[in-house]
Formats: sequence, C-alpha cells, structure tokens
Amino acid sequence: MQDFLELAVSATASGCVYGLIALAYLLMIRPTGIINFAVGEWAMVGAFAGHILFYRFEFPYPLGIALVVAFMAVVGWATERIAVRPLVDKGAALLAPILALLGVLVITREIISVSFPPDPLPVPSAFGFGRLELGPVGGSYQSFFIIAVAALVFAGFWFFFEKTLWGKSFEAVSLNRRAAALMGINLSRVTALSFAGGAGAAGLAGLLVSPNVSAHYLMGVPLAIQGFTALVIGGVGRVEGALLGGLLLAFAEQFTARYAPIPSGYTQGVPLLLLMIFLLFRPTGLLKARA
Amino acid sequence: MNYLRWIGAFLLLAGLPFFLGSYYNDVYRKMLLWVTLALGYNFLFGIGGQVAFSHFAFYGVGAYSIVIFLIQLQLPLPLAILLGIALCVLVALAVAIPSTRLEGFYLALATLALAQLFVVVLNEGGAVTGGTGGLANYRLPEVFGLRIAGPWYTAVIVFLLLMTFFILLKLDRSWFGRACRAVRDNPEAAAAMGVDVARTKVIAFTLTSALAGVAGMVYAFVDNTVNPPIFGLENAFLILFMVIVGGAGRHAGAVIGAVLLFLLPFVLSPLVGHHHVLVFGLLVLGAILAAPKGLIGFYDSIRKNF
Repeated sequence: MQDFLELAVSATASGCVYGLIALAYLLMIRPTGIINFAVGEWAMVGAFAGHILFYRFEFPYPLGIALVVAFMAVVGWATERIAVRPLVDKGAALLAPILALLGVLVITREIISVSFPPDPLPVPSAFGFGRLELGPVGGSYQSFFIIAVAALVFAGFWFFFEKTLWGKSFEAVSLNRRAAALMGINLSRVTALSFAGGAGAAGLAGLLVSPNVSAHYLMGVPLAIQGFTALVIGGVGRVEGALLGGLLLAFAEQFTARYAPIPSGYTQGVPLLLLMIFLLFRPTGLLKARA
Repeated sequence: MNYLRWIGAFLLLAGLPFFLGSYYNDVYRKMLLWVTLALGYNFLFGIGGQVAFSHFAFYGVGAYSIVIFLIQLQLPLPLAILLGIALCVLVALAVAIPSTRLEGFYLALATLALAQLFVVVLNEGGAVTGGTGGLANYRLPEVFGLRIAGPWYTAVIVFLLLMTFFILLKLDRSWFGRACRAVRDNPEAAAAMGVDVARTKVIAFTLTSALAGVAGMVYAFVDNTVNPPIFGLENAFLILFMVIVGGAGRHAGAVIGAVLLFLLPFVLSPLVGHHHVLVFGLLVLGAILAAPKGLIGFYDSIRKNF
C-alpha cells in the first residue's frame, strides 16, 4: 500500500507534465488544426532555460518561472510568424505548416545541441530535495510542486475558455474559422496567441520535469509522443481532457514499469499501445467536445 | 524497347562501381540505398500524402530479421526473405489500421512512437538482437555456390533500386496510384468517387513499408553489421527531408533529394563538423516556405520559362 501511494504521487506528477504538453498541442490544434510536433523541443528549451536561470545564475524560482514562460511565449509567437503565417496566408494545405514545424523541431534541437555540452545538465528543484508527508501520502517536494503548478495552470485555462470573452473567441475559431472571422474575431491574433500559449505551456512542462530528468537535448521527442498520446486519450475537445489523458497515461506507464515483469525500457511501448487502443475503440477520447 | 531501357540502366549503374575504388564503391552503394528508400517514401508521403516516421524502422526490421532468420536460425535464404517481408507487413498493418481510420495525422504520431519503440526493442532484445552492440561478424551465405561481394554486391543493390522503382512506377500509373493521389488531394471527393480511403491508405503504407524492409535486408550485408543507432529517429527525419527538398510526389524529386542530402554532409563536414543536420533543417524550412515543389519544381519552372 505504501509503495502504491508513493507511486501514485510520482505518477500524478508525471501525468501533470504530460497533461501540460497535451494542453500545448490542444491550444494550437483547436483554432488551427495544426499538430505541432515541436512542442517536445519547446519543453526541452524550457528545461535548458531552467538550467541557465536556476543553476548558473541562481534566480529566485517564481521570477525564473515567469521569465521562462514569457520567453517561450515569444518563441512560440516568433515561430508562428516565421513558419506558419506565411503558409496560411498563401492558402497552403494543412500539411505544409506541420512539415515546416518539423523543420523548426530539428533546427531547435540542433541549436541547443550546438550551444550546450552533450551531457545531461542539472536543474535545481524548486524547494530542494526533500520528502513531504501528507497523512499516508508521501512524495518528493518537486512532485507536489509540479502537481500544484499544473493544477493552477489548468484551472486558469479552464476559466479562460469557459468564462471569458477571449476564451469564447478561441472556441468560436475552433468551431468555424470563417464564421468566427465574419463575427469580427481577429483570426491571426488568435493563431498567434495560441502558439504563444502552447509554447508557454510546453516550456513550463519541460521546466517542471527537468529537476527529475536533467536537461538533455534528446528529451524532446519522448515528451512529444507522451503528450500527444495523452491528448488522444483525453480527447482534443476540452482542456480537462488533456489533464485526464496525461494522468491516465502516466499511471499506465509507471504501474507497468513497477509491476509488470518486463524490462523497464519497454514501458516506452505503453504510449503506443494506449494510442492504438484508443484510436480503435474510442477515437474521440474520453471527454467529448461540447456542442 | 522499354525493357531495353531498364536493362541499359542496370548495366550502366551496376557497371560503374567496377571502376570505383572500394571507398567510393561504399559511398556509391549507400547512396543507392538512400535513393531506394526515398523513392518508396515518396510514394507514401508525396503521392499518398501520408506522414509517417516509421520508414527507417521498417528498413531496420528488414535488416534485423534477415540476419536473425538467416544467420541465427539458419533458415534458407528464400524463406528468410519471405518471413522478413511477412513481419514488416504484420507490423505495418497493426499500426496503419487503427491510425488511418480517422482523419488527421494520427499515423504520424503512431509511427513516431513505433520508431522510438523499435530502438528500445533492439536495445533490450538480448541475444536475439545483440542489445546495444547489435549483430556483427556474419556473412552472406553462398548463393548457388557463388560468394557475392564488393562491386558484385553493388549490382544486387542496383537491382533492388530498379525493381523498387519499377514497382512504384507501375503502381503510380495504375488505378491504385491515381486513387492515392485522389486521397491525398481531397479525401471526401475520393470517397465520393468510390475510393475506399482508409483501405487505400493502409495498402500504400503497408506496401512501402514492405519495400523498405526488403531494402533493409539488402543493407544488412553491406557493412555486415546492424546496430540500434543506425535505425534511430534521425534517419527517419532525414528521409522525409530528402523527399521535401527534392520535391514531394515526383520520382525524380526523390532521387535528387536523396543524392543531394546524402552527399551534402561530405561537403559540409569540413565547415560545420557534425552539425549538418542544422543545415538540413534550414533547407527544409526554406523549401516549404519558398519552394513547396522542391528542387524539381525549380527545374520545371526554369525549363518552362526558357
């Protein structure tokens, strides 16, 4: 039981990280239909930013987090300007920006691998290393920190989409681009904001997970796979779906690694397996979009 | 007459390595293998409109399976080849059937996860796959009492390349090729014309994956070693980039892209060391933004204007 609860806390923490990546995908897919595989690399950039700010310059944590998210938002906004908007303006097929973003993925990774040494780089955690016990539930400080931050972010986005006019305009664009434009919604602003928000969420996910896994230039692709799987599990329609999918995937992965009698490397197969099962039996994900 | 052209091409391409040194022969035949892979991927991505990252993983499935079946299990060569192809087809179907049922780019993601998992399986496979070190120190058994090596083995690769090209060309010009293009350009319209969209996608994916597997079988005896790093995601991206830079949907584009991106690192490495991938990324982004039809589209527009 002790073992189970311990694992549940760490699985919840990784689930929150996957959920944030899924949220990043969702923010961009909903209004534009574009799957941006570079979110994994954006998470990686967030982790390296954490290494610079917190390890090299020892910034205070809240300020550092705000800086990283703001920096990533600029990266996302710039990416949309350079690699997406020219293609959308030209009326190119949906595939074109997706491929352009794959180019961005490779360029981002290579810039990081040129600029930093190839070994994993340390990122300090928010409250140092230590254990927090809440009754029978115990886990590392960082696990609880990840859960708290993710809960805040998801609550914020839920409020944004459900309660604010800005959020409604996002929803309107995802339902029908042309009708939304006719209603006076600025499409290119919504697209630019969705990329900025997506990059911010992805960078935050990378920053949160980096104290556990260190910053490494190859950490992006696995995160991109796990985040998208979480999105497929939860359904692309709703913000809560991203979090739910992330949690489900993380529990499946960690419990397979802990209890299934197979080499731990094979847990990388869990996302693929879940993806296939959901595509076959429940392609809309667990939560349906509101009509 | 038409067949004479194919025979002429074979003699020309297969004759060339006899005049090259062993180093240049090695570069030459690896280039031919890339061209083979790019041609197959072009059919899937350029003509079929499907983004997949598993092409190189299937190349690896072919390479590993032939070594395991032929060398470790001592099966006869034809049976080993058939079993390898069957394995590729099974894996391809298992991935493609769920992923292509829906609109969108689920196949891209499923194959990304598959490619990632394949390397894990190779690393964890113990004695069967040789783990991180892979399999080495084997040789192609004698075929009809002949030991095929050096430039003669390059002739086998040329045969593979031309056979792949022949199959793809026939398919492209058949009902199936047109169905693939229709599905790429407008799935709803294709469905309205009576094309089974999901089935067309699954067949195109399975077929090109099996062709990649056969190419992998030939590759296994080029260096007489197979190991996990070769079949990683880097090369899966590279093959996509080759097709985009050369010009997706055109056989000539795939050939140009493969030759260019294969030879580019030889030119670039004195300048940028191991970071030629950065240049590839910039090339691809530039191609998509400025020349969506790739280099072959460039060539077309020049020829049209002069």
